[in-house]
Amino acid sequence: MEVLRINGVEKHFPADQFPSTLAELVEYLGFSAATVVAEINGKIVKSEHFGQTSLSAGQSIELLRFVGGG
Amino acid sequence: MEDRLVIAGREFGSRLFVGTGKFASCGVMAEALEKSGAEIVTVALRRVDIANENDDMLRVIDRDKYLLLVNTSGARDAAEAVRLARLSRAATGIEWIKLEVTPDAYYLLPDPVETLKAAEILVTEGFVVLPYINADPVLSKKLEDVGAATVMPLGSPIGSNQGLKTRAALEIIIAQANVPVVVDAGLGLPSHAAEAMEIGADAVLVNTAIATAAAPVEMAAAFRLAVEGGRMARLSGPGAVRTEASASSPLTGFLRND
Repeated sequence: MEVLRINGVEKHFPADQFPSTLAELVEYLGFSAATVVAEINGKIVKSEHFGQTSLSAGQSIELLRFVGGG
Repeated sequence: MEDRLVIAGREFGSRLFVGTGKFASCGVMAEALEKSGAEIVTVALRRVDIANENDDMLRVIDRDKYLLLVNTSGARDAAEAVRLARLSRAATGIEWIKLEVTPDAYYLLPDPVETLKAAEILVTEGFVVLPYINADPVLSKKLEDVGAATVMPLGSPIGSNQGLKTRAALEIIIAQANVPVVVDAGLGLPSHAAEAMEIGADAVLVNTAIATAAAPVEMAAAFRLAVEGGRMARLSGPGAVRTEASASSPLTGFLRND
């Protein structure tokens, strides 16, 4: 099992299901890359680079999106 | 000559900024924004909800029509605010940021020290910084000095609808400011917004009073009228306030026998 920390919560993937890119992870979670803002280990990743950004076990990923606010 | 609001070299016709929180639906929000005449609209940045499907509220905000002003709400200190600002700019390409550092969730008052610290960093990184602050005239000047594009002093706590509890301090800020002053937070009625404009604010920001009204779209229209009316009044040079009366009708020619 390989682990990713996503939005502060650990998620375990069987090795053969581990998302190889950020784009794959976002799709797996049911979101659209166009609406998601991402950070990997504290470093911002722009959405146009999701497909070329590979993931490794143990990384800490933050996925955000815009919501209503004042 | 048109009376335009100018912030960081960009001109606007509307002096009403509207927030997008607390609306019952995206549809109501979009209609209310339309009726408000706003050109600047605020949003927040939050973690996606892994358990729930993504609803993209940005879909209904036309970015050719509205300047998206992302806030750093949720930030408890300068570091968190700077992090959110950088994420915002990376995602939208927009350099404007509403700097909001509110560590205490009960009153949601902005931390002046962390706000000033974050403002200085963000200005250096090329952001157009619109800082949310308490109505502190000294802090306002310090923020101007570090290059903030506006100051955004509160009228009363966020969402409280109390109106301009900070009126006296706002008047000082307005008298001394060399950047636009946007009164933000606590405006509960159009009359509060009109009052802010009458005392010389350059703009106001309203969210709760519109979003939680029984009829948000109509309330948005009401706020639009109030901001326009208040601004017209300010530009029309209101008369002096006195303790004694000053007769409106002549004090001579009375029909009486003395």
